[in-house]
Amino acid sequence: MDAVQEAFIDCFQALDRVDLTRRFYSWFYVILRNRCYKLASRRNKREMSNSDETEILAPAANVQPEETMLLEQAMLELPAEDRELITLRHLDGLSYQELAERLQVPQGTIMSRLHHARKRLRDKLTRHSFTGLSGD
Amino acid sequence: MTRVDCESACRSAMARKDGYVSDLSADQIEAHLADCSDCRGEVRQLRALANLLDRQKRRQRTENIWEHVEQHLPDALPARSTSRVWRAFVVLGLLLLGYRLVEMIPDRHLGLLFKLVPILLVIAAFSYLRENPFKINSELTLEGRVTK
Repeated sequence: MDAVQEAFIDCFQALDRVDLTRRFYSWFYVILRNRCYKLASRRNKREMSNSDETEILAPAANVQPEETMLLEQAMLELPAEDRELITLRHLDGLSYQELAERLQVPQGTIMSRLHHARKRLRDKLTRHSFTGLSGD
Repeated sequence: MTRVDCESACRSAMARKDGYVSDLSADQIEAHLADCSDCRGEVRQLRALANLLDRQKRRQRTENIWEHVEQHLPDALPARSTSRVWRAFVVLGLLLLGYRLVEMIPDRHLGLLFKLVPILLVIAAFSYLRENPFKINSELTLEGRVTK
């Protein structure tokens, strides 16, 4: 929450540098991301694990609460970059093109990073004895 | 058809599921998966994970952050930009004054390049301020007032 508030103020201060040819939210997202990293580096690990970040997923229809709980636990164990990518792709539904624009990297890099992030998440879930990945 | 390695095949198979077309064709991926049971298993697991993730809902935050942001807005922008502009013009003025003094020294033949110094200084000042001096501002506002 602090990061979002600070990001809005950063954004206001940087309004004269906004590039009107690009999407506003992509530009704002970069500011927000930088602010998150600054805040994260200020806090120690213990504070981070107890912070607002511990609620990523909400109860959804057709999903067992235990599944959601284990998935959230596994996601929290991922590196921040992996969690960000998976959240943007699967929970926010961004395409590779949108992800590339938002994170300012080529689409090929998104493909590669997302693949490794999902593999790491799969490994975490397996370690938590999650049984829902047997296949279609 | 070139031989495809396992990592590329799995990565491309997952990318295709996400709607992104990689360098590998669908035929190349399918051919590899048909031959490699390890990759078939890997892709099956990752697809199941992707489906599981797609079914999840993100928790929405409902806190009102506007109050905090609004408190900091009045002193956020004007103070910073005004002081920056003034500083730049004071420095520019001093440099131009120094240039004029040097120019007034008698019996000194300064080159053509020296004559371009004022222009370069002005360009440098506007570049620092990221302002275009030739741009016409169609949204002029009175000092201290903001148009909606």
